[in-house]
Amino acid sequence: MNAVLARLARTVPVALVALGLLAAEARAQAAPPLVAIVSQKAAMVTLVDAEAVRVVAEIPVAAVPAGLAAAPDGRTLYVTHPDLSLISAIDVATRAVTATFKVGLEPFGVAVIEGGRSLLVGDWSADALIRLDAATGVETGRVAVGRAPAGLVVDEAVSRAYLADRESNQVSVVDIAALKRVATVPTGRAPFALALSPDGGRLYIANVQSGDLSVVATADPPREVKRLKVGLMPYGVAVTPDGREIVVSNQQSGKLAIVDADTLTLAPQQPSLGSFPEGIAVVSPAKAVAVDWAGDDVVVIDIPRRTITGRVKVATGPRNLVVLGGRGAP
Amino acid sequence: MLQQLALAFSLLLFAPVAALAHGPTPQRADETIVIAAPPEAVWAELVKFGDIGAWHPLVKKVTATGGDAAGAERVLTLEKGEVTEGLDETDPAARRLSYRLLKENAEAIPVSFYTQTIEVKPEGSGSEVSWGARFYRADTTNEPPEDRNDEAAIAAMNDFIKQGLEGLKAKVTAK
Repeated sequence: MNAVLARLARTVPVALVALGLLAAEARAQAAPPLVAIVSQKAAMVTLVDAEAVRVVAEIPVAAVPAGLAAAPDGRTLYVTHPDLSLISAIDVATRAVTATFKVGLEPFGVAVIEGGRSLLVGDWSADALIRLDAATGVETGRVAVGRAPAGLVVDEAVSRAYLADRESNQVSVVDIAALKRVATVPTGRAPFALALSPDGGRLYIANVQSGDLSVVATADPPREVKRLKVGLMPYGVAVTPDGREIVVSNQQSGKLAIVDADTLTLAPQQPSLGSFPEGIAVVSPAKAVAVDWAGDDVVVIDIPRRTITGRVKVATGPRNLVVLGGRGAP
Repeated sequence: MLQQLALAFSLLLFAPVAALAHGPTPQRADETIVIAAPPEAVWAELVKFGDIGAWHPLVKKVTATGGDAAGAERVLTLEKGEVTEGLDETDPAARRLSYRLLKENAEAIPVSFYTQTIEVKPEGSGSEVSWGARFYRADTTNEPPEDRNDEAAIAAMNDFIKQGLEGLKAKVTAK
């Protein structure tokens, strides 16, 4: 929590931080962590209570939803539909799609910035990062990146967006304020998902084809400091709130890999997540949630015990997920 | 002819990134079959990565390298052309193998990429074989022609898996 506090203090006025924390604490006590899951085949967003391991709501959306992100207050969800060149905005409280925007060619990764005022969207086939007004969907800028940008994470404290350029085997580093690419970092083959350490100092990238994890030190100039094998087709990656462990879902073997952030070694225990697991997110210091795309399951993981503690069925083809409230967002 | 083949092959070698490109929307196909034979007997056929041609009716010919270990490759000659697959994992304890498409050929199978997993489990006194695939349509733009869209990919993969399972069953129970 201290790391998170320190991090927030770098960007947000202290009074606001205090207020926000109070609100967050109150929410955390009042409401269990909600996870939003996007099911591609069923065209559904499912809200799951990660504590009780049960489905809270199902929200039908347009066809083939892929990426999703939540506003910092957890009230609005944005979902990309690459096949439709579309983004849906969902009001979490009323469980309804409130707006759809036409965006680029194949919008895939999405992130919410500027306190919810703008969105950043990676365009898989236009090879660009696009900025949008979150209220109107109007494009306010774009910058060229590598081929087939997949995962997207942002660190507004340092005005950086990181994109996994899947077909270019690299990460593009973009200055958000200037909307300018400032660096590229070579990775393993077919980087897809990525996650930042809580202090923003490290970026972990899951390389699907080479089956490894690139560890990038983000300080200028950003560089890959280690590449370690994690398993067959890693498709999801997330970091614990203390930054000490990285969880990786290996799609082809169905297994969970846990990496020690200090030693950058793999835990020997690799529990089975399912048949083709994809997205993974950390919901609390000891708990992660992954989705099994082929089993239509949401899988709850006890990280310190290296065990699966629960499963719940969701609509067909779950691919990706986000924790509402901003904690552990992929 | 040989020269043309050599040229085509060298082009493939020098375009590994393009060969792996696919779009953002995967599809899946899953089929199971019950075979009246012990799991060991079914697994004995499956584990021979280069021998799929001995039981899969759609596979006309196979050229394989690397044996049955991870990293092995096989070139399948199908009715309309060749595809190359690479073995990623063999788990004899779980009787499970997993492989991926290394060189696609939309004429032969209308997909741009797939991974497939086959697993054998005991079922009564026999076996249940489950065969799953995760794949992408051949044309990954948003306006694919009919023969290269999601439906074409799903139909082709389902057919390949179903015929494969029937062929495996016939091969194992013929003994």
